[in-house]
Amino acid sequence: MSLPSFRLLRPKTLDGAIAMMAEYAGDLKVVAGGTDLLPSMKQKLFTPGYVLDLRGIIELRGIRSVSGKGIEIGALTALTTIEHDPTIRRDYPVLYEATKTVASPVLRNMGTIGGNLCLDTRCLWYNQSLVWRQSCGFCLKKDGELCHVAPGGKYCWATFSGDTPPALLCLGAEIEIAGPGGVRCTPLSEFYVNDGIVRLHLAANEIVTRVFLPESSAGWRGSYQKLRVRGSIDYPLAGVAVALKLRSGRVEDARVAITAVNPAPFLVKDVDAQLVGAMPSEDIAERIGDLAASTAKPLTTSALTPEYRREMVRVFTKRAILRAAAN
Amino acid sequence: MSDFSVIGKSIAMVDAAGKTTGAGKYTDDFSMPGMLVGKILHSPYPHALIKRIDLSKAKALEGVVAIVTGADAPNQYGILPVGHDETALAVEKVRYIGDNVACVAAVSEEIAERALELIEVEYEPLPAYFDPEESMKAETDLIHENRPHNIEKDYHHVFGDPEQGFAEADYVHEARYIANEVTHAAMEPHSTLASFEIDPHTGKQGRLTVWSSTQVPYYLQHKLSLVLELPMSQIRVIKPLVGGGFGGKSEINPLEIIAAVAARAANAPVKVTYTREEVFWAHRGRPRTIIDLKTGVKNDGRVTSVACKVVQDGGAYCSYGVVTILYSGALLGALYDIPNIRYDGYRVLTNKPACGAMRGHGTVNVRFAFESQMDEICANLNLDPAEMRRVNLLKPPTVTVNGLRVLSYGLPECIEQVVRRSGWNDRKGRMPKGRGLGVACSHYVSGAANSIIRSDMPHSTVNIKIDRDGGVVVYTGASEIGQGSDTMVAQIVAEVLGCDISRVKVIAADTDLTPIDLGSYSSRVTFMSGNAALQAAEDVKKNILSAAAKRMNCAPEDVIMRNDRVLRRGTTMSEGSSTWSDSSSGKDAASGHVDGQILRGSVLQTRKEEGPRDHMSFEEAVVSAIDFHGGLTGTGSYAPPAAARGGKQKGGGVGPSPAYSYSAQVADVSVDEETGEVTVHKIWAAHDCGRALNPVAVEGQVIGSVWMGLGQALQEEMVWKDGLLMNPGMLEYRSPSSTESPDIECIIVESIDPEGPFGAKEAGEGSLAATIPAISNAIYDAVGVRLRESPFTPERILAALRAKKGMKRIEMTESVDPTAPQKLREHGGSLWFRGKGPMRHPLDPARQGAKAGGER
Repeated sequence: MSLPSFRLLRPKTLDGAIAMMAEYAGDLKVVAGGTDLLPSMKQKLFTPGYVLDLRGIIELRGIRSVSGKGIEIGALTALTTIEHDPTIRRDYPVLYEATKTVASPVLRNMGTIGGNLCLDTRCLWYNQSLVWRQSCGFCLKKDGELCHVAPGGKYCWATFSGDTPPALLCLGAEIEIAGPGGVRCTPLSEFYVNDGIVRLHLAANEIVTRVFLPESSAGWRGSYQKLRVRGSIDYPLAGVAVALKLRSGRVEDARVAITAVNPAPFLVKDVDAQLVGAMPSEDIAERIGDLAASTAKPLTTSALTPEYRREMVRVFTKRAILRAAAN
Repeated sequence: MSDFSVIGKSIAMVDAAGKTTGAGKYTDDFSMPGMLVGKILHSPYPHALIKRIDLSKAKALEGVVAIVTGADAPNQYGILPVGHDETALAVEKVRYIGDNVACVAAVSEEIAERALELIEVEYEPLPAYFDPEESMKAETDLIHENRPHNIEKDYHHVFGDPEQGFAEADYVHEARYIANEVTHAAMEPHSTLASFEIDPHTGKQGRLTVWSSTQVPYYLQHKLSLVLELPMSQIRVIKPLVGGGFGGKSEINPLEIIAAVAARAANAPVKVTYTREEVFWAHRGRPRTIIDLKTGVKNDGRVTSVACKVVQDGGAYCSYGVVTILYSGALLGALYDIPNIRYDGYRVLTNKPACGAMRGHGTVNVRFAFESQMDEICANLNLDPAEMRRVNLLKPPTVTVNGLRVLSYGLPECIEQVVRRSGWNDRKGRMPKGRGLGVACSHYVSGAANSIIRSDMPHSTVNIKIDRDGGVVVYTGASEIGQGSDTMVAQIVAEVLGCDISRVKVIAADTDLTPIDLGSYSSRVTFMSGNAALQAAEDVKKNILSAAAKRMNCAPEDVIMRNDRVLRRGTTMSEGSSTWSDSSSGKDAASGHVDGQILRGSVLQTRKEEGPRDHMSFEEAVVSAIDFHGGLTGTGSYAPPAAARGGKQKGGGVGPSPAYSYSAQVADVSVDEETGEVTVHKIWAAHDCGRALNPVAVEGQVIGSVWMGLGQALQEEMVWKDGLLMNPGMLEYRSPSSTESPDIECIIVESIDPEGPFGAKEAGEGSLAATIPAISNAIYDAVGVRLRESPFTPERILAALRAKKGMKRIEMTESVDPTAPQKLREHGGSLWFRGKGPMRHPLDPARQGAKAGGER
């Protein structure tokens, strides 16, 4: 399979990038690490006239501490860099754990945090070659009119399959988005849309530029548990992130987020009501597991059956809570 | 250990440097001036008539040079003489999603792909068949008109008296097992470059040269000749480096013919390289198999009778299918002593990519069922599984009830080794909760004693040429596909000639240069090409010995070739002693002291005053021999002996082999009872390969087999939805990664086969089949659930565990109970829709149960 032809744009500054995006919006895709976009282009899921390569924009690389605020991560920072950053490993262990499960070491060398946040949603009926998709009459998300995982439905269930966003949701991360109107900040929890096609609150002429980890969640215990068949390479078939603020063994604050079982990553609701003030126990962890499982709506978008993946959200949530408490 | 110089030493593969540095050339690395890229148009329908193909828009695209369709090459071919049911490109109808319809040759891949989109094909859908048991009921719309009920072939064999055997049994166990479909997933996608020369006498297209990633260059030459209607002598097939075959390149894949047909039409070289998706469609892997197995035993575990019914979902073409279904029955024999066997095998056609030969061809899925059932019997009769295998050992030399001759038989030692090293006797039954041990055995042929082409020609021939430079050039048709056949041949020749292996240059698998060899499949190469190489080396050695004997004034029997020297028997020249150093080491001799003498004239003449000598360098001996005899060449060939060629019963030609390898394995696993996930901690794998010609290569083969078995046991599965392959890529078809690959302790057992070259027999396939049941049995030992459907994915194990514990039922296995599977599973969701895309026939399973309007 060949890459479709396109014109490559290589801005050196953010302003340059924004200007190019404004000019070609609608016929342009942004590439950072390329690990998500390029295979999809070969499958003709995207055939943009222009590809904008962000990698020349040095200012969007790297991890910085901003005193009184927390940590700022440039969107172009490689996942490997985050994985090996001692501050993140110490202060934001849930992000460290999630990052090191992404794909494989070589893919983490190329893949960026911005790319992981903006990952396209995935589905076995979608991430296929043009010929393959033709043989099933295409689908809602690309070139078709209906959904194969929810026959008759008019809603796309393609699954968000990033590993780091649930960790970032647990940490209360914010992101910075740049566009022609300037720069805006938004909580990550308001970035995602639970629709496999719409996916993100991000306009065609905008890009994610930075991620902020608040100082208030530094030091929270954390754990990320990922369901996959292989110990490497695989996208999550279900993922659970847990972050706990503990004082003398009791929970002061807690967040649980799930991924790869819905079109968007979600914070699980009402977790704090169950956990705050309590000592984490098997009992409580199981109850949170039930909550998380009821938030998960997996369908036949990937390997392993939806029913199994939902059950694993329950088990992995329980485990993540107990592990985070013990970490 | 016997006293060998090169044999039995762990030496680097002769092609290792090119492969590890990237300098080595695989087919896709080649290009030629004016070369075009070929891309293939594939069918989106599982079963449909082609009513019309309109190429006009595609041909009009600039950069498109030629487009070919089935009409350009309508001759049928197939790897088996009984299975000539394929055409390179579809003629009249397509039979699976991915079937080949047309090929565009264009100046670039992108243009070729764009042209594919411009080809208009009008199809008329036919009902399609995806489940083999359903397909067998078909009366109309057959996949091939000459195969009633879509049955490619069925066999019904009875050996001994199975009913009497069951009557004598104290206990009879019966169950159905299902092994899902797997494919080779070789690292190198198939690639072929085809180029015609201009005939100097006619000015027209003349000879054809094809470079291809193939395990069988001579079969390719033959099938190209059939389809292109060119004499074989006008076709040269060259096999460059091959990045793994595992059976997937052991027959003629469509692209190999298509590239040549396109090159003929375009009048230019054409290269076609499959995408990974196309590799999955070309497939030829291990079929989904339903095994109904019944075993009768005495109370002590001795098997009295076996009845086995096998249904294989063969896909849309015969491929190796007839051999697969025969192997599945024949290889019930030759591992254990089974006095009575009934076998009913059905190879069924379905509208899916064709299955074919895959590592452990024919034996793997039945062995999974058999070794699992032995374990079940042990649990019911309270027998030790290792002990049950011991009480059923063969007593060789022997001929089994189904006519298989067994001479060397290292299975007892294999079992002994893995039992001892795994701590079986102490640990079994005393493992922590969730952890267990399982044992299983397997075996495999060292090549088929009867060739698939039903010819009495030798199966392998090897030629050797030695020239005045002291270089030994070996010409073999055997195909190096990463398994080490070139190295094996070099080692054998170097050992026989007593020369340094660096002298030996292997020219392999080039039909213009090398003598015919059936190819690399059914683990035949070491045994057959190895024996031919041995004979060829002895042939050429005779002439060296007789010339050297004259120089040394002794009888040829008294001349010894060893360590790159030639000496008279009795000469005291122990290795490394000072007497060797007068002409210094062999290396100096090679580079120095006959330098300049070789081409000028005779070493003999320049030194005749020296009188008789008691030793000389290899070059001196070679030059002497050439001076005495003229050109120094040798040839050898191998054909299996009549005694190894099996019984006369129908179908009895498949299964017999001159020798069988044996394997025993113990797996140590743990199972997470909340998730159903399995961790394999370690596998002890003992393999009887006769003699390990190159131990490190044998270990590589055994470890590779175990690893591939591990994939089939736990992770790998081609997932289908109404004939559509849901996971045609390495991301969703999950071969194990390094992180979940266990520690594998390989134990080489050497039974020294009386007919193998230096006693060697097969090493590359036999271990695979034991791994799957060893893991299954260990899972049972760990958590008490018996998985009768492979792979043992976490959802299947968890479903079984929850059922065993009486927990609330969660339907997580698409309504197939993995402990008692009755039917094949389909992926969830729905293919049926209304509107865009290929409309399936109303009788197509995709439309059954779907409401009008495409909603459920």
